[in-house]
Amino acid sequence: MYPRSFHYHRAGSLEEAVSMLGQLGEGAKFLAGGQSLIPLLKLRFANPEHLVDLNFIPGTSFIKEDSGALHFGAMTRHAEIEHSALARKIPVLHDCAAGIADVQVRNRGTIGGSLAEADPSGDWTNALITLDTIVHCLGPSGARTIQLRDFIKDAYTTALAHDELVTEVEVKIPPQGSGGAYLAFKRSAPVYPSASAAVQLTLAGDVCQDAAIALGCVGLTAIRATEAETALRGNSLSDKTIATAAEAARAAADPQTDMRGSAEYKRQLVVALVKRAIQIAVRRARGEQVEGAHLYA
Amino acid sequence: MFAEAQSIVAEDEKKHGSGPWVGAALPRKEEDRLLRGRGKFADDIKLREMLYLRFVRSPYAHARIVSVDTSAAEALPGVVCAITGKEIVAQTQPFIQIGPDQAQKIRDFPMAVGKVLYQGEPVAAVVAESSSLADDAAELVQVEYEPLEPVVEVEQALTDRSILHEEAGTNRVWNGVWEYGDVERAFKEAAYVVDIDRLHFHRFSSTPLENNVVIAEWNPKDDRIYYWCNNSFPAFAIQFLAAHLGIHIDKIRVQTFDIGGSFGIKITSYPQMAVCALASKKAGGRPIKWVETRSEHMVSSAHGNERTFRNTRVALDKNGVITAIDSRHIDDCGAYPRYEPLGCVIWSQVFCGVYRFKNARIDFWQAVTNKCPVGPNRGYSRMQHLWFLERVVDICAHEIGIAPDTMRLRNYIRPEEFPYTTPNGCVYDSGNYPKMLEVAKYLIGWDDWKKKQAEARKEGRMLGIGIGTTLDSGTNNFGQSQIINPYAPFSGNSQGANCKLDIYGEVVVAVGSCPQGQGHETTAAQVVADVLNIHPDLITVRTGFDTERNVHTGMSGTYASQFAVSGLSAVHGAAQKLKTEMKRLAAFILGTKEDDLEFGVGQQGPEIKAKSSGKSINYWGLANIVNVNSAVLPPELYDVTLNCRYVWRAPFKVPDTKTKYGSLTLTYASQLHIAIVEVDRETFVPKILDYVAVDDCGTVINPPIVEGQVYGATAHGIGAALMETCVYDAVGNMLTSTFSDYTPITSMNIPKIKYGHTTTPSPHSYSGAKGMGEGGAAPVHTISAALQDALFSQGIFIDDSFNNADSIFRSLKHREGGQLAQLVKLEKRS
Ligand SMILES: Cc1cc2nc3c(=O)[nH]c(=O)nc-3n(C[C@H](O)[C@H](O)[C@H](O)COP(=O)(O)OP(=O)(O)OC[C@H]3O[C@@H](n4cnc5c(N)ncnc54)[C@H](O)[C@@H]3O)c2cc1C
Repeated sequence: MYPRSFHYHRAGSLEEAVSMLGQLGEGAKFLAGGQSLIPLLKLRFANPEHLVDLNFIPGTSFIKEDSGALHFGAMTRHAEIEHSALARKIPVLHDCAAGIADVQVRNRGTIGGSLAEADPSGDWTNALITLDTIVHCLGPSGARTIQLRDFIKDAYTTALAHDELVTEVEVKIPPQGSGGAYLAFKRSAPVYPSASAAVQLTLAGDVCQDAAIALGCVGLTAIRATEAETALRGNSLSDKTIATAAEAARAAADPQTDMRGSAEYKRQLVVALVKRAIQIAVRRARGEQVEGAHLYA
Repeated sequence: MFAEAQSIVAEDEKKHGSGPWVGAALPRKEEDRLLRGRGKFADDIKLREMLYLRFVRSPYAHARIVSVDTSAAEALPGVVCAITGKEIVAQTQPFIQIGPDQAQKIRDFPMAVGKVLYQGEPVAAVVAESSSLADDAAELVQVEYEPLEPVVEVEQALTDRSILHEEAGTNRVWNGVWEYGDVERAFKEAAYVVDIDRLHFHRFSSTPLENNVVIAEWNPKDDRIYYWCNNSFPAFAIQFLAAHLGIHIDKIRVQTFDIGGSFGIKITSYPQMAVCALASKKAGGRPIKWVETRSEHMVSSAHGNERTFRNTRVALDKNGVITAIDSRHIDDCGAYPRYEPLGCVIWSQVFCGVYRFKNARIDFWQAVTNKCPVGPNRGYSRMQHLWFLERVVDICAHEIGIAPDTMRLRNYIRPEEFPYTTPNGCVYDSGNYPKMLEVAKYLIGWDDWKKKQAEARKEGRMLGIGIGTTLDSGTNNFGQSQIINPYAPFSGNSQGANCKLDIYGEVVVAVGSCPQGQGHETTAAQVVADVLNIHPDLITVRTGFDTERNVHTGMSGTYASQFAVSGLSAVHGAAQKLKTEMKRLAAFILGTKEDDLEFGVGQQGPEIKAKSSGKSINYWGLANIVNVNSAVLPPELYDVTLNCRYVWRAPFKVPDTKTKYGSLTLTYASQLHIAIVEVDRETFVPKILDYVAVDDCGTVINPPIVEGQVYGATAHGIGAALMETCVYDAVGNMLTSTFSDYTPITSMNIPKIKYGHTTTPSPHSYSGAKGMGEGGAAPVHTISAALQDALFSQGIFIDDSFNNADSIFRSLKHREGGQLAQLVKLEKRS
């Protein structure tokens, strides 16, 4: 099947993209990697009259370290992050980028597009919500920054105005003694996960000083499992503590039954994923190099 | 790169440099073209004035069509015409129905008429100057529906509460009983009786890389229909099309090209072929192209058939030897039976599987439901039955407490019993199942795994070892259709081939097959190369089907694991015929006797030489005389054409339709797989830790091609066992219409497969080869068996052919909660 006909516009700069969208109005949309938008166009679920292509704007794809944070241009492809040595400074980012769909999708899809899409099953929002993440935006009235947790409003809904762009994603590098992991369960590579878990822990000796745990694909947005975090905070991470936290995460999940799994099974997955993510996070916090591995059916 | 492959090939070339070519690991002739993207597929064809067709499909599973309004679509600039079911009924006959009695009354048209019977059924089609315009126009067609009660479950269908085909008056398509031996007595004398309430073989499909494609032109100048398409059984399709369209069969020309997979699914594209021809007629004879989208393919091409096994009772003696099976089997054929009522008998080609039991009663049913029509799909109808038998064997073994391998050895047909006549009169040509088991055990490291399993169990891990033994019956006797309907005018099996020396002496072979990756160009060349004693590279094999080549028979196509037997026997026959003519001609030219002649390659290419004189004539010389220099021929050689058509016929008789007794297939390739599967205790993901596939297809013609088919069939089967299932909700919405939901297996989900083979040549084929390729869905049985072994101690019986982490988790949980009904009962008699 083919999309309905639409007008194609190529923006030369971020500012131009913003003003084009403003002029073209509600029927216009930005086009980044196209990996969410094109399938919708193809099935005619989305029928924009105009597409403003961001792909030819110079300087929108980069990975930089600056004042204790990693900065990603909005058009940085998942594959670039997957292969970046710099991005490995925050292992969760590598875990996430390397596990998104397949090579074709990773070569096209962008981090900015993923956040803007706010797909409840998208990997990026879930992985980044456990970190100190700031979204840089540009609109007709200028630039602003938004904390990721304030940026994501609901399923497929963000704080962006219609003609506002994501320009950059800034992720603070966690302190020494902090470790994280992001794990997803997928039935097959090119499909969204059935459930995912992101964990970021800060240890002092054996004791967990701070914990952030987020669950993906089991609610309308990524869910922070606060009770699970509480179960870890201030405790030494014995198997029992970890199991308690994982059970608290099960309770926090609010999944739907669909082709990716029954609600009860997704809850079970949350338990397994949180446990494993904590275990990897702990080892990484202690300075070990651990390759994260997503689970496949 | 490829250093190892190169050395293997070089080694093989050395070994086989001068033949024999049958058996050589010759690289596929078609490989280079296909791997470099130079294959020619139906969608590559673009014709002048071509138009594009798009179907408008029903969102409902069962509904009355109140109205179809195509006016807005037709008013769109660039739209040439639209076509609806009403118009089609007015111009055509309903498709031939294979089923008997009430099933004969089903009125099947290529588009819904009055009622829609499954989600995705076409209700109209639009034709436009471009494919995107056709998409735009399809959105403008207004259809008003009045929903009816959908029937999604086959047992619900059999109650006839809501009837799909009102003209038939029932949802039942077919019913018949197969009964042999003395079932009652076997049960009376049994040491154990095992009852299994319900088993279910799930609906899945094949997802060929290339979807269905049809280009049709109904040319008003010669009133002929030209098809360029990828149907995989064109000789069958034209019989249905000619009767439906009311046109002389010779007026239909079908050509196929490279085909990107079919697995049987493309056999049933004739309804779409019909619509395209009618649309072309309406568009003044302009060619019409229809390229199926993936979503269309998922909802409306054809699915594999789904079977439910009810009230199964098994009688066993004290050693666990099965003495009788009594069971009721129900096929769900979707909305229209089409090819399918044949599935009601095809399973009986493997009536007793690989086992020796003599007493059995199978009460077989088939009914329509509001789901996509099913069609032949790799392992067609036999895999469901083989899975059933393997489940019976494993469930009984576990219940009685006999190791599944011992259980099998006690029940397998023994090597010395071949050729083995089954209770229903099929003749298994050859086989050695115990030996295959031994090879498979060796390859997997059986004893080691047994030890590891014992240790794992001590730790509470769920690790299972499963065996699946299957048959791939090939070259079927179409006479079995008469068991379905005594008036069916089909029996036997045949395939045609042509072998010629063309005017300049080129050897050219044509076959009535339409390969989809099975390497027919290569194997046909190997066979002819041996007959003529020349290199296969000197032989051109015309691939793809073309009615105009006039080599096909009414059974030509590529389906049902038979090319190595029917196709290559035809090629061999044609090559022999050509050789005979060449000999007669050469003897005359060289002035010698036929037995003085030697076939080979000389300085001027392929030639025939007189051993006594050393004189020779090359192929160009021979062809020249016959084709353009015939004044030198004496009248007694006027019948020599060097253009030889040969039709090979399988030596079948019509089966006895009353007792359902007779030989239904010629060869029986066998597969024995072993899988080690562990179910994770937290994620419940069933992970394949080790996998062995042992294949026996008799004499192997081309080892890499056979190996490739085994890997393909194994991947396909693993996908079916763990990932791929066609799911409908309670009102008949298909929930798996995209790859994101259906999740076809990818390379990431395929474990390393250890491959082995044994060879028991078939006495039923000239070369000893057996048909292969479908593979009997061995992984489905094997993985079910491994899961059964892993989960039996948890009180779980594997009662469905589809299992994934989610379903395993839920059955374990429900078992704990005491919510699982008792599926199996064991009665021990002293
Ligand atoms: C087969 C397949 C499998 C996939 N599996 C996964 C998976 O497992 N996990 C996962 O996370 N993702 C998955 N994806 C989605 C993929 O990661 C997408 O790339 C991503 O969701 C969107 O990024 P994009 O650059 O492709 O955006 P596009 O598709 O181009 O755009 C998406 C939306 O965001 C808007 N947009 C894009 N860029 C910006 C911007 N800079 N500022 C403001 N708005 C913008 C667009 O207007 C559009 O509405 C999959 C995609 C496919 C096709």
